[in-house]
Amino acid sequence: MDIEEVKRRAGPREFSPKDDLPEDYRKAATRMIQFHANSEIMGAYLERPFIREAPSLDRKLATSAKVQDEIGHGQLLYRAAESLGLKTRDEMLDELAAGEGKFLNCFHYPMNDWVETPMIAFFVDGAAMRRQATLKRTSWEPYAHAMDKVCFEEGFHVKHGEAILHELMTGSKAEQEATQEAFEEWWPRIIQFFGPTNEKSTHHGFASEVGLKQMGNDELRNAFLNAYIPKAEKYGLEIPDEPRIRENDDGTYEVVEDDLDWDEFFTIAKNDYDGSHEQINGRKAAQDAVEWVREVMDEHEQRAMGGTQQQAAD
Amino acid sequence: MIWEVFRQEDAGDYHEHCGNVHAPDREMALMFAEVQHARRKPTNSLWVAPKDEIGEVDTEDAKFGGTTDKSYRWASTYDFEAAASEVEESTNEQVEAERRRKVQQDKQEAQGGD
Repeated sequence: MDIEEVKRRAGPREFSPKDDLPEDYRKAATRMIQFHANSEIMGAYLERPFIREAPSLDRKLATSAKVQDEIGHGQLLYRAAESLGLKTRDEMLDELAAGEGKFLNCFHYPMNDWVETPMIAFFVDGAAMRRQATLKRTSWEPYAHAMDKVCFEEGFHVKHGEAILHELMTGSKAEQEATQEAFEEWWPRIIQFFGPTNEKSTHHGFASEVGLKQMGNDELRNAFLNAYIPKAEKYGLEIPDEPRIRENDDGTYEVVEDDLDWDEFFTIAKNDYDGSHEQINGRKAAQDAVEWVREVMDEHEQRAMGGTQQQAAD
Repeated sequence: MIWEVFRQEDAGDYHEHCGNVHAPDREMALMFAEVQHARRKPTNSLWVAPKDEIGEVDTEDAKFGGTTDKSYRWASTYDFEAAASEVEESTNEQVEAERRRKVQQDKQEAQGGD
C-alpha cells in the first residue's frame, strides 16, 4: 500500500497488522503509541508513592487499583505499538530507561503532596480521557482496541480524582488553600498537556491525514476547558490569572498561548528538565532491580520453545 | 512469546478475542491474561493460544459464500404463506445475514476497484 492509498482509506480502525503499510505510517504510529504507552508507565510511577501516602484505607485501595490499571494500559499500548513491527516492547522499555523515550509533559514534574493527586487524577486524566475517547476511532486497529479497554477503566480514575478534589475543597481551610496552591502550580502544565497550537505542532498534519489522530490539539484543549473550567470553579478553585483564557461569545474558551512557558515545555519534550531525569532514573532503577526476573523468564521461554520444536520434528 | 486471549463473559457464551499478552509459557499466559483481561470485565472463562498457532483467511484471499447467485439456499426464496414461528425466525436470520454479506461484498468491490 502506498501513502496515497493510506490517506484515501484512512478511516476508523481501517488498518491492522495484516496490511502491508508504508514505513512512514508505521513510524508515525509507533512514535504516537510508544509516547502514549510511556506516559501510562511514567504516570503510574509518579502516583505509586501515594499508595503509601494515602490518608485513608479507601484511598489506599483505590490508588493502588489505579496504579495497577495504568501499568496495564502501558502493557496494552506497547502491544499495540509492537504490532507495527518496528520495535519490540523490550526495546521501548529500554529506550524509556535510557532517557530516549518521550512521554507527557505533566509526568516530568515531581509530585510531593497528597493535595497534588487530583491535579493528575482529575485534571490530567480528565484531559487524557478526552483525547483517548477520540482515539477509539484511530486508523490503527490494535490502538483503537486498546483505547476501548483504557476508556472503560479510566472513568474510575477521573471520578476518584474528582472525589479527592471534592474532599479537599470541603475540608479544612488549610487543605483548601494548599489545594488552590497546587492547582495554580499545575494549571499551566495541564493546559500544555494538549501541546502547542496545531500550526506549531510538528507531527500533527501527517498523523491526521493517515487517520491516526482524530482531533487536533486546539479542538481538544477547547473541549477540555469547556468541561473542566466550570468543574474547577464548582469545587471552589480559582482559575489563575495566567495564562489568560478568553471566553468567546459562544461559550468556548481560548488560551493566550504566549502566557505559557514554551521553553520549559520543549526542554521537557527533550527529557532535559530536572524532573525528567528524576522520574526517568527512578523508573530505570525499578527496571534494573527486576532484570533478573526478565532473564529467568526469557531462559524459561527458550527452554519451553526448544521443547515444542523437538516435538514438532518427531 | 505472544498469546492471544479469548474471554467468555458468562457460561454458555462464546469465547471472544479480547487482546493478547507476552508470556514465556501457557501457565503464565493464563496468569497474565487473568490480571490483564479478566480483572475488571465480567469473566467466566479465559482461553489463551500462541499467536503463531492461529490461522487466518480473510476477504483478500477468499470469496466467502461464493460469487454466484445462491438464492436457492435462502429460506426467503420459498415464501408461500406464514411459516411456523421458529421457521420465520430462521428466515429472518438468513435475510439479515445475506443483507450484511452483500454490504461487505459491495465495500470490498469498491475498495478493490480503486
